[in-house]
Amino acid sequence: MKNKFNQLRDEFLEQLARVKTNEHLKELELKFLSRRGRLSELMGGLKDLNVDLKKEAGELANNVKKELQEKFNALSKSLNNLVAKNNEIDVTLPGANLAQGHLNPITLVQNELEDIFSSLGFMILDGPELESDYYNFTALNIPPNHPARDMQDTFYVDYKNKDGHYDLLMRTQTSPVQIRAMQKYGAPLKALIPGRCFRNEATDARHEHTFYQVEGLLIGENINFANLKSFLEIVGQRLFGPNTKLRMRPKFFPFVEPGNNGEYTCFLCQGSGCRVCKQTGWLEIVGAGLIHPEVLRAGGIDPEIYSGLAFGFGLNRLAMLKYNINDIRLFNSGDLKFLEQF
Amino acid sequence: MYISLNWLKDYVKIPSKIKPEDIAQELTNHTVEVEGLINSAQQFNKIVVGKVLSVIKHPNADRLRLTVVDVKKKKLNIVCGAPNVAPGQMVAIAMIGALLPNGLEIKESLIRGQKSEGMICAEDELGLGKNHEVIMVLKENAKIGEAFAKYLKADDIVFEIDNKSLSNRPDLLNHYGLARELAAIFNLRLLPYEKKFARQEDFLDAKNNQLEVKVSAPDACPRYLAVKVSGLEIKESPAWLKERLVAVNQRPINNIVDLTNYVMFDCGQPLHAFDAAKMKKILVRQAEKNETIETLDEKERVLSVDDLVITDGRQTVALAGIMGGRSSEITPGTKELILESANFAAATVRKTSQKLNLRTESSIRFEKALDPVLPEIAIFRFLALLKEICPSMKIASPLVDINNADQKQSTVELDLNWLKNKIGQEIPRDNVISILEKLGFSLDGKKEEILKVSIPSWRATKDISSKEDLAEEVLRLYGYDKIEARLPVLAMALPEVNETGKIERKIKNILCLKGSLSEAYNYSFVGEDQLKKLNIDFFNYLKLANPLSGIQNLLRQSLTPGLVANIKTNQFKSDDFGFFEIGNVFFKTMGNVIKDNIEGNFLPYQEKRLGLVLAGEGDLLGRLKSVINSLFKNLFNSGIETEFLVLDNLPGWADKYSAAKVVVLGQELGVIGLLSQEATANLNLKKATALAELNFNKLVELILNQPSFRCVEAPKYPPVMRDLAFVAPNKILYNDLRREISRFNPLIKSVELFDVYIGNKLAGGQKSLAFHLSYRAEDRTLVAEEVDKIQAALITYLAHKFEAKLRDF
Repeated sequence: MKNKFNQLRDEFLEQLARVKTNEHLKELELKFLSRRGRLSELMGGLKDLNVDLKKEAGELANNVKKELQEKFNALSKSLNNLVAKNNEIDVTLPGANLAQGHLNPITLVQNELEDIFSSLGFMILDGPELESDYYNFTALNIPPNHPARDMQDTFYVDYKNKDGHYDLLMRTQTSPVQIRAMQKYGAPLKALIPGRCFRNEATDARHEHTFYQVEGLLIGENINFANLKSFLEIVGQRLFGPNTKLRMRPKFFPFVEPGNNGEYTCFLCQGSGCRVCKQTGWLEIVGAGLIHPEVLRAGGIDPEIYSGLAFGFGLNRLAMLKYNINDIRLFNSGDLKFLEQF
Repeated sequence: MYISLNWLKDYVKIPSKIKPEDIAQELTNHTVEVEGLINSAQQFNKIVVGKVLSVIKHPNADRLRLTVVDVKKKKLNIVCGAPNVAPGQMVAIAMIGALLPNGLEIKESLIRGQKSEGMICAEDELGLGKNHEVIMVLKENAKIGEAFAKYLKADDIVFEIDNKSLSNRPDLLNHYGLARELAAIFNLRLLPYEKKFARQEDFLDAKNNQLEVKVSAPDACPRYLAVKVSGLEIKESPAWLKERLVAVNQRPINNIVDLTNYVMFDCGQPLHAFDAAKMKKILVRQAEKNETIETLDEKERVLSVDDLVITDGRQTVALAGIMGGRSSEITPGTKELILESANFAAATVRKTSQKLNLRTESSIRFEKALDPVLPEIAIFRFLALLKEICPSMKIASPLVDINNADQKQSTVELDLNWLKNKIGQEIPRDNVISILEKLGFSLDGKKEEILKVSIPSWRATKDISSKEDLAEEVLRLYGYDKIEARLPVLAMALPEVNETGKIERKIKNILCLKGSLSEAYNYSFVGEDQLKKLNIDFFNYLKLANPLSGIQNLLRQSLTPGLVANIKTNQFKSDDFGFFEIGNVFFKTMGNVIKDNIEGNFLPYQEKRLGLVLAGEGDLLGRLKSVINSLFKNLFNSGIETEFLVLDNLPGWADKYSAAKVVVLGQELGVIGLLSQEATANLNLKKATALAELNFNKLVELILNQPSFRCVEAPKYPPVMRDLAFVAPNKILYNDLRREISRFNPLIKSVELFDVYIGNKLAGGQKSLAFHLSYRAEDRTLVAEEVDKIQAALITYLAHKFEAKLRDF
């Protein structure tokens, strides 16, 4: 008896799967589920069983009946709703709002940069945010008591070394990872280093003590200034459009020689001058240079054989320009009204 | 730093076709960024020449007077407090709306009941001197109504440059240095820096006229020059001198002090003048512990052995290279001075200046390492100018020069072929030579492939020591725009893939798109108060040594405080919402990342975490578990199971009945729980909050190390489905019940909870858990009898093990 129910079930489901039209469906209902259909017929046979079997088979029969009816109803419903029958439906009604989260704009810009450089064969590297004085400064050609340390106000960790000096700090730049990368991978090396950095300065709409940088590093034989320039050019063109021009100026960074900053044609006004570029037509975006021989040495690379270029972007600034964000504090604010726009 | 165009013109003749804007632009392109251009006339905007017509006493104040002043267009009523105001005087009038150089804005006002429509200015208000007692009386031939700037012949342009951009260029913190750059940039002639006065024979014979100078710390003071000058008359500086100082934002004080400042802004060498009557000799030495000095700013400074001081053997008279002391200050009565022109070691000055938080024009120059040749040049310059402004002066000592400086001429070889490779383009030899010579380098072997370049003393202290440095000099003056960009040609190589980064990005996308969570970036710093409210211990937290006021001073060990704050920020703006954050936490224990170049030193342990938070209505804990389940289903191979198990260590913030540990593949990844009522109240949160915090590094490790995924064939034989509900005591956990069912028989392929019931249909202390069970065999179609037999045994087993009874509907 049980087998009969199961057979019936399988047969029904098989036929149901092939149904294409409403007419077809009605035929099937008549054949299986109607009062005179095969299911009723089979259930009628239950009364002939003995009491024990009847109870068990009855349970099965009910389950099968329920299942078949449900599957039938579901198909019937979807077949009938495939098209609107009349003009009862307002086609302009909106769909339901699916809940959605939002990524931080820093993440979006960082992803974009990572993708550009991954396509050029760069590794994406990471390093500690709580760094040592050695990696953050000394190894980058900024020895103790060098005035260049004033360029970056530093948060020190309240923990003195044997000599009584604070030598742990919140990294002020992603550059310490340059040295760590050189030590780990040697030359040649292509790496992109995004990350969180810290500067001990009061916050306002333009300043944040916690911000994000992305730093690029290319070390090989005969890497020269013309290479640096073209690198910055193609990055600018990828970020801001194919007509973007680059202008380079001298700027002192202790870990590069020569050191530069790079300005790109303002992508908003295409160089004609606007509020964002302060009417200059240019946006200062990138710091760059050829890696200082002392820095290569600190990374265990021979500067007589290898040379390298390095450049860094402020992610906050890129995101602010790209999305017209006027307050740098918003990135770390956790304000949904801000995040929901991304 | 401010640089005056008129001043620059003393040393380089600038053709009129080169405009100030061009100078600013080209300095920016080749040397250092010029941040601003100030027209000196601008600072006297709305200040005009006026004539005092009448003066009467103020009816309500003894010391005030009511004046009427003619400014040509109208007559103004002005209340004036100066005792010297008198009818007929020509004076400087700040009109309503004027913003004075000292920052004061002039508004129409009532002074003791009398209207005042402007101000008659004193010197200090105009930034022209320190005199505040009396108003400044102008020359009689001054024109009524004329702009004060025109009266002063203020026609200067001032360039503004950020000192920080010059931390590598001590030679540029003065006018002569910048004139040299301009000469190189525009190819102009640089005039020599003249020593107009004082040849060796002008100084007295050392035999009879001792000026005793002793340097007992030659490392900290490589060079010390001093000379005594008598016949002085301390007075106001002449107009040209005051003008120059005002142009570079310095307040004139008196002729001697002004002249020391002038020479500093002129050639970059800080000078100091002591009153010779107040000290007999000079001793330069390290300070003693707890030695004190009252500096010119009238502050008592406590020193230590690292500091360098100037003493006269009895008392300390100056903090070397930083600031003079009060005791030997030049006063109106000074007749004789001792002039100091010295070279102090950069590190010494910098350390002391930082420690005392005392930055001066002198210290910012010394700490960048000054040229040891400069003190000699500067002292001659000072004496020459002093003779001009104080003709009665007499040199009253020999010139003392204690010179321990290393003045070896340093030479760098510049291989033109190397230069070409470094730049990626050939710069013509003639250009290279001319650029270097214009900058003061002297060259040997001009016809050879390798140039021998001698570094001038003013560039040799810290700035230039290698061929790379020279390459920059050549390149920046040649022009970056003249270099053709060329991409490098590199060997192909397969880059190492950053799996952690890939997984991080995937997690962010899943949580955002499937979990509907937004991404928070919270600060790495947290406050004690915040942690107390969350009942989190912070005795072993790392601290910042120098937190910003207003920010938190502890390094976070958990993402929870930040995420809870995110809920608070948004609690009245949104109903149901949530965040995630991936960020680092910091511990006192030693980690495994190398700290520095000393073997065995490691950085404090740092760990990346994934934090999640939900706030709103309903079963938050259940929803957060769903988010985690869904995340893990996407991150791990299919069939992964996330378990929530009873915790051993309850985090302080968690409700003790609603927290669990999150376990995957037998590994504990973190905790999940509801925020306790206490914490919710402490923080004034108005929403229920569920939190989870997972060890991101461990999660990544588990994902990367899971067995590689193998696809299996779809089952050939159909399953038999059975629904079973059990009633069990509350203390029996779902997890245990489920595990026992799963393990009970290999034919049980899946056990899925579909209902939990606690309520009045059950006896107290009981709950009902309903499961879908799926039985299936790999080699045959199961028949009901076989399943029934297993099921009966299972029911018996569970009744025995957990007192769980089959629920009777």
